[in-house]
Formats: sequence, structure tokens, C-alpha cells
Amino acid sequence: MFATLLTTATLLVAQQTDTQLPVRQGTRLELSNPHGGIVVRTWTQNAVRVHAEHSEGDQIQITSGPAVLTIGASSRHGTPEEVSYTITVPRSMSLNLSGVQTDIDIDGSEAAVSAQTVNGDVKCRGGKGQISLQSVSGSVALQAADGRIDIHTVSDDIRITDAEGEISAETVSGSVRLEGVKSPDVEVSTVSGDILYNGSLLDNGRYRFSTHNGDVAVAIPEKVNASVSVATFNGDFDSSFPVSVTGSTKQRFSFTLGSGSARIELATFNGDIRLRRPGQLHDEDDEDHDHEHSHEHHDDERH
Amino acid sequence: MTDHWVERLSEYVDADLEAQDVRALEAHLANCPTCQAALADLRLVAARARALDDTPPARDLWPGIARAIGAPGRPAQERRRVAFSVPQLLAASVALIALSGGAVWLATQRAVAPVPIARAPATPVVGANAAWTTDAPYADAIAELDSALQEGRKAGRLDTTTLRVLEHNLTIIDSAIAQAQRAVLADPGSAYLNQHLAETMQRKLELLRGATSLAALRT
Amino acid sequence: MGPTAYTAPTLSGDTTTTAEAEAADVALAASGDGRAFERLYRTHVARVHTLARRMINADVADDVTQDVFIRAWSKLSTFRGEAAFGTWLHRLAVNVILGRRTVLGAERARRVNSDVALDQAPSREAPGRRDLTMDFEVAVARLPDGAREVFVLHDIEGYKHEEIATLLGIVPGTSKSQLHHARMALRKQLDR
Repeated sequence: MFATLLTTATLLVAQQTDTQLPVRQGTRLELSNPHGGIVVRTWTQNAVRVHAEHSEGDQIQITSGPAVLTIGASSRHGTPEEVSYTITVPRSMSLNLSGVQTDIDIDGSEAAVSAQTVNGDVKCRGGKGQISLQSVSGSVALQAADGRIDIHTVSDDIRITDAEGEISAETVSGSVRLEGVKSPDVEVSTVSGDILYNGSLLDNGRYRFSTHNGDVAVAIPEKVNASVSVATFNGDFDSSFPVSVTGSTKQRFSFTLGSGSARIELATFNGDIRLRRPGQLHDEDDEDHDHEHSHEHHDDERH
Repeated sequence: MTDHWVERLSEYVDADLEAQDVRALEAHLANCPTCQAALADLRLVAARARALDDTPPARDLWPGIARAIGAPGRPAQERRRVAFSVPQLLAASVALIALSGGAVWLATQRAVAPVPIARAPATPVVGANAAWTTDAPYADAIAELDSALQEGRKAGRLDTTTLRVLEHNLTIIDSAIAQAQRAVLADPGSAYLNQHLAETMQRKLELLRGATSLAALRT
Repeated sequence: MGPTAYTAPTLSGDTTTTAEAEAADVALAASGDGRAFERLYRTHVARVHTLARRMINADVADDVTQDVFIRAWSKLSTFRGEAAFGTWLHRLAVNVILGRRTVLGAERARRVNSDVALDQAPSREAPGRRDLTMDFEVAVARLPDGAREVFVLHDIEGYKHEEIATLLGIVPGTSKSQLHHARMALRKQLDR
């Protein structure tokens, strides 16, 4: 009850800061917001617009240096309260955003993006170069990115759509879903979450999907050149097309498709491994995916 | 015409002169406006130098460095690999499970029993991206991470939601490590099982690191 | 190195950390944590880069800075925590930088590029005099190599002549006279 009162009080004295300043090409944005939201959009101007909603006792501080523009909040009474930022930046401005109880939402960047939060979701559409997104108890969704992609969560899902470049996605208990991805080097690993991959398998590429308890489902187009290695301790292997096994040990077997130039490694301990044609994968696993999602939903406890 | 005292003014400014030279210089200074002016200027230059700021590079150099050292992403080529013998891997996995209050499984008791390990061939096994080697630094890292995490928990630095999520996921990994251990014990020659155990341990180490940095740096 | 207590840093900006938080990052980085090393990088890059720029020139500073951090990563296991991490890193940077200097003197100090910070603290001079910090940096960059190196190490970085002499392979007497020449040359900057 006390907490509710405080929240109301905060809203009553909410304040807005809205300011704009020019920036030089090559400047990087650094924004740390421990509590609240960060929304970043882009435009064609060589300027940064900072719009923030915050409590009256807090102040937004913007420090402009030769290479970095730093934004943060400071308070007369210790720690700043919740701040909700909407920042508009040039497309080429690289971003370094961090928070704790914070959701991060970026759209339109054509630069390097680093976004980390603890208890919050990260959504990014765009990004070019080094893209690093991270959350502990929140999900990460990346779309239309091109570069060296590195995504990390602990308990919630990772979703990557329409991305190019090297990809590394890791979670402990979240699920990982990659679709429309075109990458020469993909590494996905979970402990108990499922993995679904519906993307390119380029010649000479390297693709590794490993879990302990989760299932791995990979779409294999008809004309693919890959050496595939499948390893599991307790799980089932199921392919919707025939494969001729070339080598096998107790837990591992391999087969070759086409010229065998790409390398695909599928490894689970308890989970199942499923190979499908692209069309088949989407339907089947959407069903499973929806079932899982309906009973596994993380709490939204943000204070 | 050079005033040889001017040459020694810098040393004077830096208190680098012998006592008798100091006296002689000060005596000279009293009567030499040129040297007085020079002295004042030299002090000002030194002060200006001390007050200079550092400026960061115009572009972010981290990606190039990250690529060269193989972090946070991986280099395109193979990650560093370190060989463990099976007994070492099992012993390390026991230590790792006992850490940070994860559930201790029955398998860990069995893993330390000498008989199964002695019978297992000491096959060198490829481990995963190795932060550890076979000696002290690994054990030290584990111990430090553990105490840092405990500190963070005691100080209430991690909020309850995050703490719950971290502990829940540590339990998940511990369970996975225990299962992998049992499998390796039953089949120590399996390269795949050893690799899987090593990788699962690596996941725990990474999670602990992440938790530690959260505990250390966040409110 | 035993465990240390951690205190939360202030929340403004990403790069402020307390000594204890940094010690944690050093321990993490030494055990292979790239993200911890990145935090160390962010904290110390400005100092390293500026040192490289002043000791050699702006053109190679980026390159040298990367070398310093790459070397620091591989040498982290040798850092025993006797000194502050920043001090250790600085020594390493000086060594890398000195290894890179052109011995043949063909590289004359170049004009510091205009990326030198424009938002300076207010001028320490009396009101009425314009802020001379940027001109000062330019003047430092224009010093002859030997004098510049000694000046940077002594007056800006705080090394003693004995240490500088060892680093540069000269005798302390030479270090002192180079310093004096540098200061006398820079003196002209004060009178505009």
C-alpha cells in the first residue's frame, strides 16, 4: 500500500526534460538508466534529441565530449527514480545503453549497438557492426541487423529475425529462435531451452546448436552442402528426409549432404533433435512453441 | 649570453637541487628578474601540464580489441582449447556444483570415490573455451567469484527477482552438470560426453561471472 | 588476493567505478571474462590513448592503444594487485608505446588533430585571456621527440627522472636537460 502511494506521488510530480543538441559524426551515445525505459529512434539530422520523463527531484545530465555523448540522471536525494527516455539519434551513432530494471527498445540504428539490462526486455530493429544485447530476466528480440551479433539472456527467450553476420546466442533456460537469418557462423547454446533454426546454411559455414535438456529443430533446405554431426545422450533424432549415416559412435553419428562444405553440429543431452524442410518446420514448431509459452510466463515485478 | 642559472631552474622547480645549490640559486634569483620571470613561467608550464585532461579516442576501439582477444563474441577460428584428463574434469565439476548453494547431487559423492576414477583411462579430453587451466588460477577464480557473490547477496545488492532467477538457473545448470557427470562416469571414454560436461561447467562459470558482476556493480 | 567488499558506484555515466568494483573486474577479466575487461577498457582507454597520442602522434594512437589493451589482456594473469590496476596498465602502456616509437626520428610530432576536447573546463587563466589548453597540446605535439617524451612522462604523467632514464635508455642528466628544454619551449605558449 505504501509502495502504491509512492508511485502515485511520483506521477504527480513527474517532469519532462526535452532538449536537442548537435553532434559530430562518429560520436557514441552512452546512456545508463537503472530504472525505467530507454527508447531510441533515429533520424537524418546530426543531432540528438533527448526526451525524458522523470520525477521532479531528478535532473537529466548530458555531457558532450569529443567522441562520446553521455546521458544520465542525477538526484538531489541519493538515487534517481524511474526515468523514461526517448532519444532520437543519427542513424550512424553507435549506442551503448544499460539499465537494471529497464526495458530497452531501439529502432533504426545503422551503427554498433550494445544494450544490457537485468530485469527488462531488449528489442532492437537495426544495428550494424558489433551488436551486443543482454538481459538476465528479460527477453531479447533482434531484427534486421547486420554484423557481429552476440546475444545473451539467462531465463528468457531470444529471437533473431532477418539478420546477417556472425551470430552467437546463449541462454540458460530461455528458448532461442532464429528465422530468416543469413550467416556464415552461428553458435546457439542453451541448457534447458529449445532451439529453432530456420535460416541459411551457407557453403563453408559453421553452425552449432547445443542444449542439455532442450530440443533442437533445424530447417534443412533441399540443396544444402553440409557435413552434419548429431550427438545426444538420451534424446531422439528425427528427420523428415532420409539420411545415410557415415560414421557413428554410441552418442554421435554423422552424415553428409551435398558436397559437405558447411559444418553443422547438433548436440543435446536429453533433448530431441529434429530436422525438417523449411516449410514443415515453421508449422510444427509453432504449435509446440505456443504451448510452452502459455504456461511459462515470467512475472512483471518491477519496483 | 647564457645565464647558467636558467638551466637549473627546472630542477629547482622540481625540488631536485642540492641544499647548497638551492641557497646559491635563491641568492641569484633575488637579483635577476630574467630568472624570476623564467621561474614563474616554468612553474606555470608544469602546472598546466598537470592539469591536462585525457580524451578518449574518436572511434570506439573495443571491437578490434574484442576480436583480437576473442571476447565477448568468438573469433571465427577455433576457440582456445585446453586438455583435461577425465579425473580432472570430474573433480572440477564436483567443485563447481558445490559452489554457490546449488543442489548437491548424489552423483558428486560417487564422483570422488577413488575406484571408478582409477579404472577410467586418463584420456586427454578436449575441453570447451577454457578460462581455466589445470592449476591454481581456476580454483582461485571460482573461490573469488563465490565470495563476491555471497557479499553481493548479503549486502542485498541483487534484487529479489533477479536473485530468484539466478538461483533458479544455477539449479538448472547444476542438475545438468550432475547428469553429465553420471554419464561420463559410466562412459569415460566418450569424447562427446566429456565435451558436453566441460561445456556445461563453462556455462555455470559464465553465469556465476555474470551474477558476480551484477552484485558488484549494480544497486 | 582475498575477497573485498563492494560498494555501489554512483549512477551517472557508465565509466565511474570504485576501486573495489574495479578489483572485481580485474579478477573476472583475469579469469577470462571479456565483458569485465571491456569495462576496464572503458575506464582506462582515454588515459592510454592520450598518452599514446602525446608520446608518438595522433595517427598511430588508435593502433597503439589497441596493442596496449591486447597486451594487457594476455598479461593480466601476471598482475598481482600490488599496485592499482591503472598504474599497472599505465606502465604496460608506456612500454608498448616506447617499443613503437620510430627510432630514426623520421616521425616528427604531428599537429594534434582538432578532436582534442572542445568542452574544456573553464580556463584557469585570469578572465580576459583566452583558453590556451588546445594551443598547449599543439605546442607539446610540436616539441622535438626526446624533449616531448620526457616532458610527457615527467610533467604530465608524473614519472621521476630516474624512471624516465631507465625507460628511455638515457642518463638522468639528459632527462633533466630535455625536460628543461621542453618547458622553456612551451613557455612561449603562456604569453599569447
